Amino acid sequence: MPYHAPALRRLLMLCVLLCLPLAAEAQRSVLVVNSGEASLSVLDVTTHAETARIPVLREPHHWVLTPDRHELIIGDTAANELIFLDPESFAIRRRLTIPDPYQMGFTPDGSKLVVAGLARQQVDVYEAGSYRLLHRFVMKTMPSHIDFSPDSRVAFVSLQGTNKAAALDLMAMKELWVTQVGPAPAGVMWLGGRVLVAIMGADYVSVLDPASGAVIGRIQAGKGAHQLFLSPDRRTLFINSRVDSTITAVNAQSFAVERTYRVPGGPDDLIFAPDGRIWTTLRFAAKVGILDLRSGAVETIPVGRSPHGIYIKGAINSGHGGG
Amino acid sequence: MQLAAPFDFAAGFLQENVILPLLYQTGLMQWEEWSFGWALFAVYGAAQVLLATAICVPLERLRPVEHWPDQQAVWVDMLYTMLSRVGLLPLVTFVLFAQIQMNLNGWLADRDIVPPTLEGLVPWLLGRPVLTFLIYAIVLDFAEYWRHRLSHVFNWWYSLHALHHAQRQMTFWSDDRNHILDDLIGFVWFMVVALLIGVPPMQFPMLVLLLRLLESLSHANTRLNFGWLGERLLVSPRFHRAHHGMLAAGVTSVNYGAVLPWWDMMFGTADFSAEYVTTGDPTAEEAMATGSYIAQQSAGLRRLVRSLRTGEA
Repeated sequence: MPYHAPALRRLLMLCVLLCLPLAAEAQRSVLVVNSGEASLSVLDVTTHAETARIPVLREPHHWVLTPDRHELIIGDTAANELIFLDPESFAIRRRLTIPDPYQMGFTPDGSKLVVAGLARQQVDVYEAGSYRLLHRFVMKTMPSHIDFSPDSRVAFVSLQGTNKAAALDLMAMKELWVTQVGPAPAGVMWLGGRVLVAIMGADYVSVLDPASGAVIGRIQAGKGAHQLFLSPDRRTLFINSRVDSTITAVNAQSFAVERTYRVPGGPDDLIFAPDGRIWTTLRFAAKVGILDLRSGAVETIPVGRSPHGIYIKGAINSGHGGG
Repeated sequence: MQLAAPFDFAAGFLQENVILPLLYQTGLMQWEEWSFGWALFAVYGAAQVLLATAICVPLERLRPVEHWPDQQAVWVDMLYTMLSRVGLLPLVTFVLFAQIQMNLNGWLADRDIVPPTLEGLVPWLLGRPVLTFLIYAIVLDFAEYWRHRLSHVFNWWYSLHALHHAQRQMTFWSDDRNHILDDLIGFVWFMVVALLIGVPPMQFPMLVLLLRLLESLSHANTRLNFGWLGERLLVSPRFHRAHHGMLAAGVTSVNYGAVLPWWDMMFGTADFSAEYVTTGDPTAEEAMATGSYIAQQSAGLRRLVRSLRTGEA
């Protein structure tokens, strides 16, 4: 028996090495923000089982990772608080009272956290780390989604209650422009020197000149264009649409529509899993959908009511401030 | 919550296939987030009505307190219930509530004021959502006791609330028969409470459904009491009937509690007598009791104007 021991040990080590990727995969979890049920669902990415349901206070919507990626922040709008989680275990570490954190994002240089307060008609600029309020922009009406210029100087904000979007100078803390973009604007994204604004009251995305705010083009989408996401290889822009319940894949350079996926249930935020599939929250179905981009098939997993933000450990951020 | 799944499915279906296309066509897509809240409210409202009907109709048939030759007056109460729990009123309330809340919140935020929550005041409650909800239900029931009691104290207010008391054929449908201005005051009252301690959203719709069911049941035309102990734990049809008694109508009444009789016991307004009294308000115009929806609302308004002029109820 002692003679065979090294061989057995080698075999054992081989088994352990072979199993390592599986173990890593098993540790990978998905966090879903259930806005209508004040909870967070933790899903196992491989088995799709819900492994935990974490209660929060009132109405959580979006998430954002801190620039050092050490903390995952969930914004609870009706509770007026940020919830700081361990991005690995999803354990709640602390809470911070700030008014109405709806969609939010850190500037690309990581110096500021900008928070859109949809219900409170304001955009707040905080110092990253200390979360000291630096400036409050009072915006009429319904500031909804945010993205930034790559130099971190300007925040672009959609004003959902109007037909407008705004550019805010984060250095001088002043409004640069407010411009007509289309009815009920929602998702915002900086892409290749242009600003894209999804137009929820129509079936397109407006393309803006970031300097002047002038609308210089349109991208076709489904009815109720809501939010914008860039694929990890930056080649494809995905646009979800509320009324049509579709996700439109668009060439990120030419803006030509490549394919439209039917995803029933009101697709909202989405994230790109390492296996290439898209995980999206289905707001009106209380489910998460997993979209296979090759076949177009959608697999669903039940979660809490009105799921909104979605985060996968190890996944690449979708391009806008958070999820 | 598995029990809630069919209702959530129905609300999602309504939102996706009816409400959103309608909002899109009418240029109101900025309200899509709120509209789902309304869809949930409407679906759970419809479920409340169905459940209350399924439970209260057999009770009213098996053990009625009163027999009436016809029940014409009850049809208007049914309209009140449909408007209040399923139809237009929740929609208006949602839009109005959202608008006012947005403006108020913006105004407060400009002054660096963040309204507190019960969990913020009692951090131990964090992470105990069901217990928190139950405590909220108790606090809100306490606030509702005082809103209701004050509506009997002030003559001008009772002139509106008299519409609720005018019904001589009180059934489980009578819970929602209110003057629209009385409902509006209730709405403002609720908003003030929400500002002081926060109000959980539709986190536990099944519990809300049960509480509303109890409120409907308390108006049912049935000989039902919950026994000595039960009567002191929850408002029964017998307990609430005493509040609607002919002799109890007006500025002096008893049993104001909506779900819990505790506040009546605490503030000396509880009446646990075993009697099943005749309901109605002898001072109310006939139109308030048996008129159409519009006639009842108009009569309420006339009585309010008269009360403001004379100071009487």
